[in-house]
Amino acid sequence: MTCLPTGSALRRGLAAAAGLLLASTALMHGASAAEDRAALMAAHRGGTMRLVANAAAGTIDPMVNYTSQFWQLYQSTYDGLLAFKHVNGTDAFTIVPDLAEEVPAPSADGKSYTFKIRKGIKFSNGQDLTVKDVVASFQRIFKVASPTAGTFYNGIVGADACLKTPADCTLKDGVVADEAAGTVTINLVAPDSEFFFKLAVPHASILPADAPAKDVGTAPIPGTGSYMFASYDPNTQLKLVRNPHFKEWNVDAQPEGYVDEVDYDFGLTEEAGITAIQNGQADWLFDPPPADRLPELGSKFQNQVHINNLMAFWYAPLNTNLAPFNDERVRQALNYAVDRDALAGLFGGSVLADPTCQILPPGFPGYKPSCVYTQDPGEAWSAPDMDKAKELVAASGTAGQKVTIITEDTAVSKAIGTYLQSVLNDLGYDTSVKPISANIQFTYIQNTKNNVQISISQWFQDYPAASDFLNILLSCASFTPGSDASINISGYCNKDLDAKMKSALALAVTDQAAANEEWSKIDAAFMEKAPLVPLFNPKRVDFVSGRLGGYTFSSVFQWLFANAWVK
Amino acid sequence: MITALIRRLAEMVFVMVGISVMVFLIFFATPGSDPAARIAGRNATQEAVAQVRVDFGFDRPLPVQYVLMMKRLFVDRDLKSFVNRGQNVIPQVLEATPITLSLVFGAAVLWVIGGLAVGVIAAATQGSLIDRTLMVLALIGVSMPVFWFGEVMNLLSQARFHDTWLFSWVPALGYKPLSEDPWGWFKTLVIPWFSLAVLYIGIYGRVLRANLVEAYQEDFIRTARAKGLSPARVMLRHALRTSLIPFITMFGLDFGVLVGGSALLTEVVFGLNGIGRLTYIALQNLDLPMILATVIYASFFVVLANAVVDFIYIFVDPRMREA
Amino acid sequence: MTDATSPSETPAAAGTATGRPQSPFRRAMVKLWYDRAAMIAASVLVAIVITCLLAPVYAKYVSGTDPFRSSLSAKIMIDGKRVPVMAPSTEGLGLGVTPIGPTFGAKYMLGADTQGRDVAARLLYGGRNSLLIAGAATLVCLFFATLIGVTSGFFGGATDVVLSRFLDVLWAFPVYLLAISLSIILIAQGLTIGPFTIESGSLLLPIGIIGVIYVPYVARPVRGQVIALKRSEFVLASIGLGIPRWRILFFDILPNVTTTLIVFVPLMMALNIVTESALSFLSIGVQPPDASWGTIIQEGQGLLYNRPMVSVAPGIAIVITVLALNILGDGVRDAFDPRSKLRPR
Repeated sequence: MTCLPTGSALRRGLAAAAGLLLASTALMHGASAAEDRAALMAAHRGGTMRLVANAAAGTIDPMVNYTSQFWQLYQSTYDGLLAFKHVNGTDAFTIVPDLAEEVPAPSADGKSYTFKIRKGIKFSNGQDLTVKDVVASFQRIFKVASPTAGTFYNGIVGADACLKTPADCTLKDGVVADEAAGTVTINLVAPDSEFFFKLAVPHASILPADAPAKDVGTAPIPGTGSYMFASYDPNTQLKLVRNPHFKEWNVDAQPEGYVDEVDYDFGLTEEAGITAIQNGQADWLFDPPPADRLPELGSKFQNQVHINNLMAFWYAPLNTNLAPFNDERVRQALNYAVDRDALAGLFGGSVLADPTCQILPPGFPGYKPSCVYTQDPGEAWSAPDMDKAKELVAASGTAGQKVTIITEDTAVSKAIGTYLQSVLNDLGYDTSVKPISANIQFTYIQNTKNNVQISISQWFQDYPAASDFLNILLSCASFTPGSDASINISGYCNKDLDAKMKSALALAVTDQAAANEEWSKIDAAFMEKAPLVPLFNPKRVDFVSGRLGGYTFSSVFQWLFANAWVK
Repeated sequence: MITALIRRLAEMVFVMVGISVMVFLIFFATPGSDPAARIAGRNATQEAVAQVRVDFGFDRPLPVQYVLMMKRLFVDRDLKSFVNRGQNVIPQVLEATPITLSLVFGAAVLWVIGGLAVGVIAAATQGSLIDRTLMVLALIGVSMPVFWFGEVMNLLSQARFHDTWLFSWVPALGYKPLSEDPWGWFKTLVIPWFSLAVLYIGIYGRVLRANLVEAYQEDFIRTARAKGLSPARVMLRHALRTSLIPFITMFGLDFGVLVGGSALLTEVVFGLNGIGRLTYIALQNLDLPMILATVIYASFFVVLANAVVDFIYIFVDPRMREA
Repeated sequence: MTDATSPSETPAAAGTATGRPQSPFRRAMVKLWYDRAAMIAASVLVAIVITCLLAPVYAKYVSGTDPFRSSLSAKIMIDGKRVPVMAPSTEGLGLGVTPIGPTFGAKYMLGADTQGRDVAARLLYGGRNSLLIAGAATLVCLFFATLIGVTSGFFGGATDVVLSRFLDVLWAFPVYLLAISLSIILIAQGLTIGPFTIESGSLLLPIGIIGVIYVPYVARPVRGQVIALKRSEFVLASIGLGIPRWRILFFDILPNVTTTLIVFVPLMMALNIVTESALSFLSIGVQPPDASWGTIIQEGQGLLYNRPMVSVAPGIAIVITVLALNILGDGVRDAFDPRSKLRPR
């Protein structure tokens, strides 16, 4: 279990699950992993697994969909040139070769990579995978206006032209195929330490060259993974079956699955989903269990519950351009005043959430535990410091001002908002809470036109790099006044720290460890200015059926269904 | 007759256009309703958002957008959701329809039978303890918020008494299609039917009783009774017949409104993905295409029910025919 | 009740023709006074209103908590033991946090909600809001319905056509969908009319929304009645005598319409309480941390399995109040307008 991040509460939570996990994970680590896997495969192969969720996650197009719900499925249906290792815990941060034969070394200037494409791989429709498919797939990212086209893949040579006129996208000098050698060379405008990560997320999946150059919606595209989507109806069911043309080439990148078929049913409430699993009618539920069922799950069904750290945090962005939070002291005061233990309680208790007062989540590259905003500042948060908070508010002279908290209309977000309202009222403000539909709130709080002072939000990693939190959430470039797409919700632009982030990104190309060191300093420096209030790091509760074995939780894409069996 | 029909149709179209325009305007008056950034995805660049805006036509004048959307809804029939990219809205509505119909039909059967029984028994035993008890029960039925009653039913059948003989047959919340599992369909719907019907049993029982009591004072009933007809015959053949006309009117309107989505509270509480819930979710997500489709669908049923009721009136009541 | 009415009794409309409009009103009040069921219902309502008005007293002197402030880490004394209001689960993996259940004592009599607030105190505060909204919405509804119904019926012609079509559109819009669409928008941004701004959390929004959606249900019968009155002999006679139209409107038509409106009051109140709770249940009515019976039911939904009292108690409050209003409504109708078959939905 060394691969798992430490934490006393987590240890306690995992103790029960460990018995179940140990069997598979320990074996995987052993030298005879392959043999054991073969034995397990012989013993457990086959059957149908039933997954349930409240609702589907929209389009099935792997280049357009940007939800953790479907990214989890893409792991075993599509492949990129590279992949995150399909293993338990933070080891999953490791990049392994997938459709490429190996992880290439950069050219001398660090700006180009040459991938040798594996031979003999077929798409689920029987077509051979060729270098042409690779080139077409990179063009398609821009043609379908993938959400990350302008953020992840804008560093490829020719990407700027593709962003302007997607229809004519060629990436002529950016992605170059050599058919004879079976290689593809990708040229970047500048070295990018995170480029491999960007190649390993589903948006860079390699699809057949003849895939439609628009969002396919509900019509699945053939892939190279161990499973393929057989049918998709967002109202009822998504069905996955074995890809008939699949032969395992790298167990770390695309393992062959145990079950023959996966039925993913939509439209079941969380309550109904939990009941279905208890009755053995379903094997796993996507949505977090409702709060009032948690005690029951934790006691009567503890062997079927798996709790894992998520690379994420819940936070309250403070608008640094609007009163009262344009005053640094007020922002710090709120950070001091918040009882993070109480907030963890709203999320389901100390087992399911760890209080935090920094931006990077535990176990993440660049994470160094530190907490300034607590009674005895040190590595961990202990208790709120109300006296200090009140002093700071008094010094700022802002008490009595009106504050509105914008939350999502989900139970947890609303509860956090209601709690923060109490805290702000105690600090002397005249506070109100405004819940908005979860679907709209995220863009609503980003737009400066809506004059949001404080809101409740969450950020989940895309890939394991400190910049995915710090640079995205707090860089000057992420702040676009008047736009719905302005992910720097705090509107905080600190030129000095911005420069430091740029140099850390550059440093990472040559020295990742030194860069991570820099990132922890940047994390602390931002927290000094307190453009946001970190609340807690949530954990994932997976409640699985009694028959499900081989539970594996990757810190990148969460539960790996292909590694689990039901027989 | 024909002109009346045509006029009625024209009115229906007018009302439905009115509603769709209203919904459309309400949508664009809402802050944060601009779907471009939501469609583009989290942390999308300004270019991506701008491209989505052009692709979906959000940069065009409102009347043009309205006409285009109506065209895609009715002519091309490929209007797609703003929230779930690539999802056609028409199949969504079509799939939700049988769920709502199942719910409302079953409940309607219950409340017609229940309403008739309560009304007739109470009128027949007018002034007695039975009458008073029934009327108090009916009034309690009218006074209970349906969502709360549904929740209490859930509490009893899903949690408190789920393990006893009383409710052990109750399946988990959700809908099972009639064609796949008729028995499961029935079992999942019994409690929702009952919860939805309680209110209407109360209303219909009360109205029917009042009408029957009134009918007993009319001359033709007095004549019938004077002729020595049995009380049961007087009640069923004479009094009930005249009293049923307002009953039918009410039924038509209520049925139309419920099929049109007003059963949404019942659907939300029992996790049935019917039209009401679909509309509610679409409204919450500000998914304009879905809102338009469901609201037009809903108003269609309401307007249709109104029209049908008018025509039934002409049919049933000769006085109306002459007028 | 209806059967007590003898058919020979003079309908309200005829009474005004004699020029003594107060007489039928007084007669109806006397009749209502002797209606036992209606009077019991009225007393229950008065008791509920008084209890709810005493909410601050209860919160201060009995429960001793602030029902609008989260108390997630508070502890209280029960049977000489200090008990946390929000108790983390200790069994097995220790998942979940459960609020304290009904103590049936002074503190947390009905238990705590997910924020550790006293449900009993919130129930009283919620009742104030529910009753206030229902009452005010009734007035709003009757005002607009009268305005539209009388204007439309009295003036006829193009005014009537436009207003009737407008009512048709509102009528065909399923009530809850209309309420939801209005709520979602208004609650997101508040409402600005000229120099006045209603903030998004304001109670005026649910009042306005609930008031508006039922306008067609009242406006239509009012319009019908006005048209009937216009054709009645005494109005035709007044017109024949050359009495100005505004006098006819104010002295002949409106007093008669008032009877209808009085009959509508308790019934609309009952309907509005249920509607308000439904909207709040869908979290688009009263906004947190304010409470209404509907919001408490909604907040209790997440505790239904462990602490059902949080949802059940406000529901019972609604049922009792609405039941009393309906019984009173029956009595008022029998007293004021025994022939009508008004049935607001």
